[in-house]
Amino acid sequence: MTRSNVFQFRSGRSVFHRLDPLSKLAWLIGVSLLAFGAYIAWIQIIISFVVVATALFLARLSPLEIVRGTWLFMIACTSFFVIQSVTLPGTTVAFHVLSKPIYVESTDYALASALRIYTIILSSMIFVRTTDPRDLAIALVTQMHVPYRVAYAFFIALRIVPTIEDEIQIIRAAQAVRGVARKRGLAGRIGETKRYAMPLLVGSLRRASMMVMSMEGRAFGAYPQRTFVDAPRMGPLGVVVFVTTVAAVVFWYTALALGYVHAIYVFAPA
Amino acid sequence: MRPVFHAGAFPANEDAPTRTLVPIQPTLKNDMRRADADAEPRHASLDAEIVVDLSRVTYTYDGEAAPVLRNISLTVNRGDFVLILGPSGCGKSTLLHLLNGSVPHILNGTLEGAAVICGKAVNDTTVAEFATDVGMVFQDPDAQIINTRVRDEVCFGLENLCRPADEILDRQKEALDYVGLPAFGDRSIFELSGGQKQRVSIAAVLAARPRLLVLDEPTANLDPAGMAEVFAVLSRLNREYGTTIVMVEHRVDELADKVSRVVMMDQGTIIFDGSPREAFSARRVVHSEEAGVVPTASWFPQVAEFAMDLAAASLQELLPDRVPLCVEEAVDLCSAWTVAAGAFAAGINASPTARSKRPLLSIHSLSFGYDRSAPILKKVNLKLRSNEIVALLGQNGSGKTTLARLLVGINAAPAGAIDLDGEDLSKLGAREIAAHIGYVFQNPDHQFVTDQVDEEIAYGLKVRDYSADEIARRVDGVLEIVDLGRYRHRSPFSLSLGERRRLSVATMLVLEPQLLVLDEPTIGQDYERAQQLMGLMERLRQRYGTTILMITHDVRLVAQWADRALALRSGEIAFDGPPVELFDDADLLQSAGLLAPPIHEVSRLLAARSPGRGIRPVLSSRELVNALIATSGNPTK
Repeated sequence: MTRSNVFQFRSGRSVFHRLDPLSKLAWLIGVSLLAFGAYIAWIQIIISFVVVATALFLARLSPLEIVRGTWLFMIACTSFFVIQSVTLPGTTVAFHVLSKPIYVESTDYALASALRIYTIILSSMIFVRTTDPRDLAIALVTQMHVPYRVAYAFFIALRIVPTIEDEIQIIRAAQAVRGVARKRGLAGRIGETKRYAMPLLVGSLRRASMMVMSMEGRAFGAYPQRTFVDAPRMGPLGVVVFVTTVAAVVFWYTALALGYVHAIYVFAPA
Repeated sequence: MRPVFHAGAFPANEDAPTRTLVPIQPTLKNDMRRADADAEPRHASLDAEIVVDLSRVTYTYDGEAAPVLRNISLTVNRGDFVLILGPSGCGKSTLLHLLNGSVPHILNGTLEGAAVICGKAVNDTTVAEFATDVGMVFQDPDAQIINTRVRDEVCFGLENLCRPADEILDRQKEALDYVGLPAFGDRSIFELSGGQKQRVSIAAVLAARPRLLVLDEPTANLDPAGMAEVFAVLSRLNREYGTTIVMVEHRVDELADKVSRVVMMDQGTIIFDGSPREAFSARRVVHSEEAGVVPTASWFPQVAEFAMDLAAASLQELLPDRVPLCVEEAVDLCSAWTVAAGAFAAGINASPTARSKRPLLSIHSLSFGYDRSAPILKKVNLKLRSNEIVALLGQNGSGKTTLARLLVGINAAPAGAIDLDGEDLSKLGAREIAAHIGYVFQNPDHQFVTDQVDEEIAYGLKVRDYSADEIARRVDGVLEIVDLGRYRHRSPFSLSLGERRRLSVATMLVLEPQLLVLDEPTIGQDYERAQQLMGLMERLRQRYGTTILMITHDVRLVAQWADRALALRSGEIAFDGPPVELFDDADLLQSAGLLAPPIHEVSRLLAARSPGRGIRPVLSSRELVNALIATSGNPTK
């Protein structure tokens, strides 16, 4: 029995769970575009705050789940922030560390960059945790007119990821019992992958063959169209989320293009 | 006219199987009801409509020289419940795949002869076109379930058939009612037990109202409770709704009195086709995948095996109509026949092997869980001595595999909790633990790390820097023990499943471990292969004094081979003692989700019927016959 992956769908009744997949996808793309376009720390802080609040209150993720899912990125972003703060040039000295000046402008930019990465990771986690891959596939068919065979291929690929992860863990455990030590470095990883490949391939082929027979045995692909029961639809809340996100993105990039954003950039480099 | 199910007429959940083994669930205990499989036709009102009509069918897979099915002729009528038996590699699964067109349309090959299923010629009909005629359920629920929510899975087939949404939802509800899961529509597949998943798989094909239900070892991965759930659903579908069922299954004890026909196969041909009583009235000989001879009696229900032993001891001829298919019939047979003196030697467990008193491994108050708020193991205390075969039993999720993984260091043991021959296990590295404790995984393929059989066996020695001479000596010795010497230069993946199993044991055996853990040795194996594996374990014990710890649901295996049984219930050791005492404790069996072997039930009932006779519960057919001989002069009341 293995621990469940924090980066996979888990059913629930939160506001985000009830939202249709395309509204959530629009929200994810919108948040990512805003994060990419915001290079000012205090604006990036606001975006991060909104995303964390969404995770806690609208997606009902616990603080522990958020930390478990993103701790590696927290460390990476913190390291990124420190390195950029120390190495980037600036004009206004904020303080000194071991007689090295730390500039306000570089710290501002570093904080914006680090938060940008974290915001995108956390918003992706919210999307994955609250969106059933099947609903996403169906939304692609019913709302974006993607052929259903293509959408299901996408869904099955997502569906099978946790199973393959579990199988890799079992293979790793089985080989550790044989005395196979895990090796570091690229060469070690390549050797490890080679050893895992054959048992994984054999198991995956067997599973894929079974899945094909299970699907074809239930008439999958028999007709060019199919019925979708419970197809997700964009409700009033979805419309609000969609319109608000699009408006925010349009507003931000328009302001950026017209130079209004730079006017509020307090710590802009000279 | 095809049968139509009516959800409204179905007594929804009235006797729906549950996860608990309660007495009102007749199939959850060894069935006390009188079998009526050969009595009156079950569906007298049904027309004798032919659902399966195979005439001189021969099938050869692309790239294979020899056919896997040879000149098969088989007719299945509407309402039949057909059990197909045969050794691994005999063509059972290929025959099932022929019934919905997967053979030859997905599993490509050449089909000769006439195969007509539900009035459609297989050669001219695609798999999808059979979707409303034939429902197919496979062994592994995780591999066949496509969706993540129960309702979506049940609707999947009808959505593909472009049925209107309202009709789909009605049929989905109806199908979930049939399998006793009416309130499960919104549940995630990942929250379900193995038995519930298989019932969802059955509902998913029933929703299309097929005329024929085909199942390929649907309970192979399930614990006794899950198996009972599935068999209860199938039995009800057949008896109450006339659903035609064709099924391959090894768990014959629980099925024998539910099926109407048994078909036995050997080397691609049908060697027997008749009623269950006829099927289990005489021993036949068939051939395993590795060309060894296998007695068909190895798949017989234990009560039928007992009847054959009893007939021999009573100097009676066992006519088919006297063959018992359930416990109560076996008890009745004992009353009817008088046994002659001096029949058999005792079973394997009669002379216990001398064991060391010093524990090889001690577990002290071990608690473990991935989440502190939900421990999987709770204060487990346990001692394993050298030279014993110990069975570890319990429902899925009771903590068996977690405990075993702690023993081999896959999960890190808490400091001081496990003592291995005087050393704290938590302070030993993976390689040091592996030198003392071996672990044979369910799927042997997971353990292979090289491209050649002899290199595979030598691997563990090489990483521990043994000399070349020592490696060669040990590899040769182990190859001989597991009988794989002739394949030493072959790829492990090219061997048959039974051979791969033996190779995975050999990779552990070569390190001469003091303790060998077997994880579900019978899953995916037929009875004969499991027997061969256990025979190998017995030889290991005799040769090296190795302790064997086997995680299993197979109570016949436990009864036959184990010196000691451990039962885990919700992460706690609920029983530690001789297997016969475990099976004596009905309340414990119920609460731990276990079943007693049928022969134990027969002896227990005989003892209860005639308390003055002196019969005690036993674990093998021959022990019971001997007990009957020994007590034949005693009072019967």
